[in-house]
Amino acid sequence: MYDKIVGMMCEQFDLTPDAISEDTAFIDDLGIDSLDVVELVMELEDAFGMDQIPEEELKKLRTVGDLVEYVSAHADV
Amino acid sequence: MTIILDAMGGDNAPRSVVAGAVSAVRELPDVDVVLVGRESDIAACLTDCGAENEPRIRIRHAPDVITMEDDPATACRVKKDASMTVALTMLKNGEGDAVVSAGSTGALLTGATLIVKRIRGIRRAAMGPVLPNGGKGVLLMDSGANVECTPEYLLQFAFMGSFYAEHMLGIERPRVALLNVGAEDTKGGELQKAAFALLREASDAGRICFIGNAEGSDLFTGKMDVLVADGFAGNVMLKTVEGAAKFMFSLLKGVFYASTKNKLAALVIKNDLAGMKAMLDPSEIGGTPMLGITKPVVKAHGSSDDRAIYGAIRQAVACVHADVAGAIERNIEYMKLNGKGE
Repeated sequence: MYDKIVGMMCEQFDLTPDAISEDTAFIDDLGIDSLDVVELVMELEDAFGMDQIPEEELKKLRTVGDLVEYVSAHADV
Repeated sequence: MTIILDAMGGDNAPRSVVAGAVSAVRELPDVDVVLVGRESDIAACLTDCGAENEPRIRIRHAPDVITMEDDPATACRVKKDASMTVALTMLKNGEGDAVVSAGSTGALLTGATLIVKRIRGIRRAAMGPVLPNGGKGVLLMDSGANVECTPEYLLQFAFMGSFYAEHMLGIERPRVALLNVGAEDTKGGELQKAAFALLREASDAGRICFIGNAEGSDLFTGKMDVLVADGFAGNVMLKTVEGAAKFMFSLLKGVFYASTKNKLAALVIKNDLAGMKAMLDPSEIGGTPMLGITKPVVKAHGSSDDRAIYGAIRQAVACVHADVAGAIERNIEYMKLNGKGE
């Protein structure tokens, strides 16, 4: 799951995997903004067959680890 | 060609949007329109326009509306049955060729980005209205979609603006300038200095024609075809120009009504004045394209009347014909400068 999400992030944001770890914060470390995060989340919702992530949950997703944990718990796989 | 209209967006919706759509199908050959919004409201407006049986206009019911009070960042995710969301989803699904909306600018930009999607490799979509300059016009990139920008965003705005000027305005090798507080190369804050360096590099590589910094007062001189700015400065400039134009016309009106002699003078140049006013009239200029999105999305002014909506539809049609999005997409590699243009 982690590798798949990192792969999608690399493709969307033109990053290399070594720039990303579980502790990487989207906004503070990667310099991407909230619109980028929502875009990524929507890609993940489609890719993993998840229901739409509620806005209050979305706001809690600060790091890559937070996102991986959420997707692992909710993915339809 | 089918243009999808957000019938509920704008101060005068749905009346002006419906009336603009009716004008479009009557005046533009081969253009069909889908009006998206509350079916009963739209149907009533069509009846008012005498167009209830117009075969080239269809209605797609969408019960909800995104208002100016909704959070632009989440509006299209939260309100899935809103007219704007449904219109953008239809575009994504290939049920039309372009979307026109006079609704919330922020919501439209976010919705277009999230639903229709950005062109891969484009970091931010931008809004580029064409302002009159006595010639073919000057494109202001960005005019408010991105309040906070990086130098790399500004470089991409320069490229996208150049493609637009070339394909839509017919300008060969468009001249690009950077909005700044002085013409000298060293002017501006960190953003402008870094953007200047990237634009210069792109120009030296022969990829754009960067002519240097420009001040606000240079906008109407005809020296440039594309003026690059961060969305904050671009929006302040755009609104200042709109306000200044209105002020000038109110002053002129005062002068012409001051005496019988002046009224006679006004009568003599009435047609010329009307022509000048039309040149500055947003309803004649049309809407503002959102560049960087995979398919054409045109923002009409929030206060659009039926002529302005018609103008925006006409512009959407031109965007489809010129395939501006395709031109940007095909040139993504061309826009990269040693990785900096990504």
